Amino acid sequence: MKEYEAVVIGGGPAGMVGASELGSHGVKTLIVDENDIPGGQLVKQTHKFFGDHEHYASIRGFEIAEKLRGDIQGLADVEIATSSTVIGMYPGNTLVYAKDDDIEVKVSYKKLLIATGAMEKQLPFINSDLPGVYGAGAVQTLMNEYGVMPGKRFLIVGSGNIGLILAYQLLQSGVEVRAILEALGKIGGYLVHANKVRRLGVPILFKHTILRAIGDEEVQGAVVAQVDDKFKPIPGTEKELVVDTICIAVGLTPLTELAEQANCEIRYIPELGGYVPVRDERMRTTNPDVFVAGDISSIEEATTAMIEGKISALSMIEEIKDVNLEKEIERELDTLALFRSGPKSVRIRSGLKKFGVKQRPVPSSSQNGLQIGPAGKLRAIVDCTEEIPCNSCEAICKFNAIHIGENINSTPVVDYDKCTGCATCVSACPGLAIYMLKENPDTSTATLGIPYEFLPIPEVGQKMWGMDGNGNYICDVTVKRVIKNPNKTNIIYVEFPLEFAQMVKHTAFPQKSSPIICRCEEVTLEQIEQAIDSGATDFEELKRLTRVTMGPCGGKNCKLIVLGILSRKTGVPISELSHGTSRPPVKPVEFSLFSKGGDPK
Amino acid sequence: MRGRIKFHPILEFKEKKKIKFYFEDQEIEAYEGDTVAVALHAAGIRILRYTPINGRPAGLFCAVGKCSSCLMEIDGIPNRRSCMTRVKEGMRVRRQNKRGDVV
Repeated sequence: MKEYEAVVIGGGPAGMVGASELGSHGVKTLIVDENDIPGGQLVKQTHKFFGDHEHYASIRGFEIAEKLRGDIQGLADVEIATSSTVIGMYPGNTLVYAKDDDIEVKVSYKKLLIATGAMEKQLPFINSDLPGVYGAGAVQTLMNEYGVMPGKRFLIVGSGNIGLILAYQLLQSGVEVRAILEALGKIGGYLVHANKVRRLGVPILFKHTILRAIGDEEVQGAVVAQVDDKFKPIPGTEKELVVDTICIAVGLTPLTELAEQANCEIRYIPELGGYVPVRDERMRTTNPDVFVAGDISSIEEATTAMIEGKISALSMIEEIKDVNLEKEIERELDTLALFRSGPKSVRIRSGLKKFGVKQRPVPSSSQNGLQIGPAGKLRAIVDCTEEIPCNSCEAICKFNAIHIGENINSTPVVDYDKCTGCATCVSACPGLAIYMLKENPDTSTATLGIPYEFLPIPEVGQKMWGMDGNGNYICDVTVKRVIKNPNKTNIIYVEFPLEFAQMVKHTAFPQKSSPIICRCEEVTLEQIEQAIDSGATDFEELKRLTRVTMGPCGGKNCKLIVLGILSRKTGVPISELSHGTSRPPVKPVEFSLFSKGGDPK
Repeated sequence: MRGRIKFHPILEFKEKKKIKFYFEDQEIEAYEGDTVAVALHAAGIRILRYTPINGRPAGLFCAVGKCSSCLMEIDGIPNRRSCMTRVKEGMRVRRQNKRGDVV
């Protein structure tokens, strides 16, 4: 049996930061992780994280995982056991893990950090066990970690951050998100995340739930309905949605089995996510040798998980190495309190109170409304009016034009005398909530610069659609400038009529759908109408311009419809229109038939 | 679009070494590093087993080794988490029926 000073279970953000802190203090540490590379759920996150620069704000999740991995891989005192699943805890500070599904390894520790994270909650509805119903995180794993898309048309249940982020990531991968359902009357996650998907046209249906999945062997649809104030479905409001994949994003619940086996007291605190280990402010459980950090102790963001990982590691180091790290611990506790001081953390604060962990005093925060700034100047508009823990725009601005202040939850205030219109903040903002605007009264146009994270990247001169915050068409826009950024948040500058300056929030490729009239040659109603508008007045002309009726069916399918369109547009009755000349063959036959020639002898 | 994502605005999916394995005796192509569940999803297969009591189809739910919804028979051994088991060349994978036979 191998002996370690410290063992860390779980290689997510909390576990990796913990192991890194332990290792850099010379503690002989083993970190055990189930996956073949550590990173936890960060590896499937493609969005930029909120927070401050010390905690990787504006960096994408999978890149944070790479950085944290680099930190622990470089430490001589940290041993990493990958593809290793801890299967049980035993007396005498020992545990057993299975490596690669077959080798059993037993190790002992002086101090243990359990950072096992959480798993997705189930939501029981009829056929919720059908293939095609996934946890939201499962779809993220498939698409972002492995590049595999499990469906074409998605329904997401739950508008917390995971549901909102998933919707955005699905759209980035080129599939359709039919709707996001939310049982409450308001968005569960951050407003900026919701705005990102709304302007792309994804409806968030409030006071709605899923009643059943449709399908025999796999999901082929969903029945959804409105709910009343007691979350009971309202009869008569049922709607059927055609989707092939349903994603459940109704929250996470901590994975506490190993903590239970390690004799830590577990208590049910719904505000923290369910059953959680009882612990003190410094992350020590009721077993003095066992600490917890991250989602196992309360369902939150990766930033708070990282801070908790550090706090627990520092507490462990104090005892293992008999050193005093009071100052460092206090500093981390203050940072953690700051991150948790916003209105979005009210449940966490009240949950922690039940353990006797009180919220430390923090500088007050301020909520400021949307500033439009001086018209006519190219400037940043920061559409970030909800208090969330993030100050990446303030930190990135070289001109000190954005102010957030001591409490990271305060909403940004722009100093328009200092703003140079450089747009650095546009590509840095994790919420994609900043855009550039300039009114041009001389040409009666407006110029808008928006963050753009889709493919294909529009080209200068291209005509596109300007969309409002709900994804509705507002006006045509012309692409004027494209800035490709290394962090993949590109900026597209578009120009459009001045009167829409405050309305356009996003741009999309024109998507006019028009019914196919000629099935053989795939000619749409719009193409036929355009040909008539451009001067075609009879059937023969239409045939030559569009190839309608000239495919294998010889016009059997569509001739009458085409004549009807021509009659409607020109005002000439069908009976008076020429309907062309019929020629052989009237059915598709092989050419060889003609080459044989004449009557069979 | 179901299956492998070819273009992505943020991520780069490098083409990996292709390997072959068998699902219900049918040859399936996978990328090295894929889990069994991933490779099957890439091939459009989402039904991974039939449940022990009611014989209902079941598939992937959490994809990270927690929920045990994706148990399959892999190389003759039942109850293996297809979301955590890497595909290997020539591996034989079957939909698990019921609880799986004791070998």
